[in-house]
Parts: sequence; structure tokens; C-alpha cells
Amino acid sequence: MPKLLSAAVVGVGHTRYGKLPEYDAYALGLWALTEALADAGLAFADIDGLIVNRIPDYQRFCEIAGLDPSYVSITPGQGRFSGICIATAAALIRDGLARTIALVYGNNGRSGGDRYGGAGDTYGSGGGGQWFPYGMTSPGAFHALMARRHMELYGTTPDHFGAVAQTIRAHAALNPAAVMREPFTLADYRASRFICEPLHLLDYCLINDGGVALILTAGERARDLPRPPVYLRGYGMATALAGSSFPPDDFWRAPMGKAADKSFAAAGIKHADVSALMIYDNFTPTVLFSLEGFGYCAPGESGPFAAAGHLALGARYPANTSGGHLSESYMQGWALNVEAVRQVRGACGERQVKDCAFVNYLAAAPVCTSIIYGREPS
Amino acid sequence: MRPLPDMAGADAPFWQGLRAREVRVQRCGNCGAYRFPAARYCPHCRSDQSQWVAVAPTGTVETWCVFHRAYFDDLPVPYTVLQVRLDCGVRLFSNPLGIEAGALRIGLAVEAAFDDVAPEVTLLKFKSRRA
Repeated sequence: MPKLLSAAVVGVGHTRYGKLPEYDAYALGLWALTEALADAGLAFADIDGLIVNRIPDYQRFCEIAGLDPSYVSITPGQGRFSGICIATAAALIRDGLARTIALVYGNNGRSGGDRYGGAGDTYGSGGGGQWFPYGMTSPGAFHALMARRHMELYGTTPDHFGAVAQTIRAHAALNPAAVMREPFTLADYRASRFICEPLHLLDYCLINDGGVALILTAGERARDLPRPPVYLRGYGMATALAGSSFPPDDFWRAPMGKAADKSFAAAGIKHADVSALMIYDNFTPTVLFSLEGFGYCAPGESGPFAAAGHLALGARYPANTSGGHLSESYMQGWALNVEAVRQVRGACGERQVKDCAFVNYLAAAPVCTSIIYGREPS
Repeated sequence: MRPLPDMAGADAPFWQGLRAREVRVQRCGNCGAYRFPAARYCPHCRSDQSQWVAVAPTGTVETWCVFHRAYFDDLPVPYTVLQVRLDCGVRLFSNPLGIEAGALRIGLAVEAAFDDVAPEVTLLKFKSRRA
């Protein structure tokens, strides 16, 4: 019986983050891939599997990069797909469809003028502008609706959301690659303008350009490469796609629970063994929903949990030590997975989590994902 | 121009219903589940049999938010968007009509308020339901 889940991340790379108008998504992807291969000590010719994300066309990307992988696929530019791609790569490696897989993400949304509300918005409108006559649009509003419901049901307050934003910004201050590094106070947070109440500007992620790439390979091969391998100890996914034009009653708690259970069972560890969290932070409330759904807090307790400082570096569950989407870079989960790998490697310098044995990547959305990274294969 | 619905699209019976002061949604001819927006197949039983029927114009508020950033010309901010579950189970996004901001809460009982926003266009908004 072959060992399951033995795939490892052996290389990570990314571009500069910010406004990069001279690069399209293909160029950003190739830049990141070049960095990731250098990090892995591998060459383009070593890649025999490729999944691109948010890059418009896989064939064009292979043409530009001079790649002829055995396996190739393309995934839509939604943040939930970073976790899906990583889990898929591990499964492809396990089943022998490919041995060394590059996951490549390129996002020129800032310079390309992508809009997340109004005409052209397909996410927050329920699709096709169905609700535009009522002014309903944007992913931010979708999450504002969920945030309000959480506040009404559990007494969660804007300051709880503010604590999340403030903590993650403080982490970004330690990350030279982060776009937004200036710390702010809770008073600054309260004074920042509303975009869609109850959410303020500082509850929203950034919109910036950039690219990220990860190289995964089989565990046996990973041991021969220069960087310490970071193993995918466990992963789990579950969805709540039926009826997903509207926010879920349970803040995606049911699918998050299933994804967490699968990932922890595969990893053979418990929540208490986890050293750091990388939480998909498109909006601050998502961080709170994730803590509850993936089992780090009881329902309704995430606000006080965050406000008590448990997500800060040095505390019990340091979260988004890179600055996440809120402050480092809007790389739709990819850069958080890079940070997870670097934390397990012990390569995070000033923002390194002590004795970082396991990192859990959490993504709450209509597709929920939990990935557990560790130093040893399971 | 404020954003207006596609009166001639698959949801035409819904919009025509509002002109007649009725809330009409699709009802599955096989399992009886209600659905909106229009879809060929029932997501519960996958039947393609359905008809548009008038349902009770009543429901409850599930949550709400207040837009401060303007995304559409001629929809001045701030404005409130409600998420309402009709008693038949169908969910809608809408706006309150004459509900004070402080009165909004989860479970607030509401009923249809037909808002003629253009000569041929009526939107389905919601007002507090009297007990």
C-alpha cells in the first residue's frame, strides 16, 4: 500500500506585489514560477504537471513558458481554487499522473481594472445582475450581510472585526513584501469609512497585482532537494454550493466542519498541535467564521477570541503572519500557502512562529478547504 | 439610469405579477418546491415541470446591510439591502420601504410593498407586517 499524502511543497515563489502595469497575468505567473523553481533547485524541464489559476489560458501560458507537461489543467480565478489546486496536485502525485507539479497563479486585477461591484460583478449579485435593481452587488456586501447576521445572533461587534484587521496589519509590518505595512489603532479602524455597513474600508482585502507559484513533488524526491520539504499532512474539502446565491444560514459551518475533520484525520493530529493559522481573509468576518467552522472556537465565540489577541504573533494561534489578503497582497489564498510553507521551514525571520510544527490553511467559501502542513510526512 | 430588471427575460412572469400586485414564483410540478429566479429544472427533484403561481406576499428578514459606496448611477447612497425569506421558502434581496433603520432585526415579519419605480417597472420591496 503506497503511503498517502506524501506530497510535499519543495519550492515557493512570488513576484513583487502592488501595481505592476507592465505585466499581464501570464508574465506575473511566469515570474513567480521562475522564482519557485529557483527556490526548489529545479528546472523548467522537471515540471511534468501544471495547473494554472486566474491565468486566462493554459495553452498560451505553456507557449510563453516553453512547457510540455504530461498533465495540464486550468481553474477559475476564485480564491477557493488555491486550496482545490493544492489538494488536487497532491492527489495527482499520489496517483502517479505527475511527479513534479507547478501551480501557477497570475493576477493583474489592479492594473487590469477588475471591478468587484456594479455592472460586471457576477459574484456578489447572485449572478447576472439579478439583484442590481435593488442595488445588491459585490462580494463585500455579501459578507456584510453575513457579518450583520453574526452580530445579531451572537453579539459580535465591529471592534471584533477591527481586532482582526489590526492584528493582521501588525503582522504585515514585519513583512517587507507586504503592500500595506503601517500599523493602525482600533480608533483608526473605527474612523475608517464604511463601504458596506457594518464593514469599513479596513475590513476589506486589498486589490493589487502579483503572481505566486508553488512546486509540489513526491515525498521520496522531496528529500533530495535543497529546501526542507514541507509535507501536505492532510487536506479536506466540502461544499455548500446549492443555494449559494445567498449567504448560508450557518456561515458555512457545516462544510468547514467536514473539511476540518477530513484534514485532521489524515494528518493524525489535533487542533492543539497546530502552531499557526493561515485564514482566507477576503473580509475580516470570514476570519471569525473560519475560526468557528474549522473548530478553533465554539459558535459565537470568535469575536471575543480575536479581540483577546489569540491571533497575534507570540499568542496561541498566530494567524496570517504575512499580513494576508488584508495587508500583504490579494493573492487569493496562494500567498497564504506560501507563508504556511515558509513558517514550517522556519524561514520567516522577524515574524517566525516559534517551534512551528504544523500550519493549518483555512478557507471559508461555498467551497471550504483545510490543509495541514508539517515537517514530516504522515 | 438606475439599474432596471430585464422585463422580457425568463423572469417576466415575476415582473408582470408585481404590476398586478402579486408575488409570483415558479412552483415545481413534481415536488411542489418554490424557486426564483427562473430555472428550467427543480434543484430539489430535477423535474422540468413547473408553473408560475402567486404566493403569500409575506416573509421575514434574515439580515441586511447598508451601502455607503455607490456602485450604480442614480442609486444614491446610503441605501439598505434586505435579505428576505418568503414564507414559501424563496429568498430574495430587496430594499425596505418605510422601515426605520433601528427597527430592523432578524426575524422581523415583513410584507410586500410594490414600488412603481418606472412607468413599466415595479420592484418588490418590503414593509413591516402588522400583527
